[in-house]
Amino acid sequence: MSNVKIDNLHIAGTACTPEVDFRFDIHRLSLKGESYPENAAAFYSRIISETREYLAGLTPDERVEVHVALVYFNSSSTKMLFGFFEELNQAALCGMRVELYWYHDREDDTIEEFGQELHIDFPEIGFHDIALD
Amino acid sequence: MQDSKYYEFFDYAHQRDIIFYYVGYFSQNIISAMAETVRLNLEKSGVTGVTRRKLFSTFVEMAQNIVHYSADSLTAPDQTDEVRHGSVCIGRRGDKFFLLCANPVHVEETEALRNRLEPLRTMTLDEIKRAYKESLRAESPADSKGAQLGFLTVARDASEPIEFEFHTDGLSDMSMFYLKAII
Repeated sequence: MSNVKIDNLHIAGTACTPEVDFRFDIHRLSLKGESYPENAAAFYSRIISETREYLAGLTPDERVEVHVALVYFNSSSTKMLFGFFEELNQAALCGMRVELYWYHDREDDTIEEFGQELHIDFPEIGFHDIALD
Repeated sequence: MQDSKYYEFFDYAHQRDIIFYYVGYFSQNIISAMAETVRLNLEKSGVTGVTRRKLFSTFVEMAQNIVHYSADSLTAPDQTDEVRHGSVCIGRRGDKFFLLCANPVHVEETEALRNRLEPLRTMTLDEIKRAYKESLRAESPADSKGAQLGFLTVARDASEPIEFEFHTDGLSDMSMFYLKAII
């Protein structure tokens, strides 16, 4: 088990990329806004690799909170987000407690359904669906 | 003004309830600016939330498909900020909306595109959703920037089978690829 502390990751949001606010020091990761970057693989691979590094340094009894409040994500972002949750599920399988807070507009069936999918595919992650008005 | 042909063009578009039309080079900056305008336009015209989201999603998938796959590119193959040529159109017909996009493709690519799109035309919504889930879990082919998931997203949001066509002039090795979705 490593004790290396990795720096928090903050990326300001733009019209087509989400605000990334990963506070590894308090175990709270947050994604908020729009997601249709030109190259979703490039945008998310850094986020995924830093998260992987952070998770590898955690003690197994740690509790991690993940807040996702995306208004829209395109198909290639969807694929990358799926990979991101796969990493979190792996950590949960190793004993960490991962809680996912999934925010969406009450009317947005697509985002709500994707949340349900994640819940089915990654049962180790605690899932909290939050419909906003 | 001597530009009566342009009046004809605008008049033609107006009569056909064209809400948005763009032809030219697509870059991510242009897509993002257009997407914001389209969203605002749909909000102001009182389109319901569900339809608005489907139109927006289809618009972004079509525009990004052009920026990644049009055969008419201004940028070098290894450049990351791509700029490619095509056109997108959003219109209204009765109580439905339609989206159309067009971009040139190499003739030898048409067969592969046809094989990807044709099955989507006969699939039920449940089958489309299942294929979408499978595609999400599958590793991407090396040459793909996510096109199959993009087409599945368009098919999922459309209320009728998607339509597509290739127009080849027989003179060049290019073919014009048209894709239409009714929301």
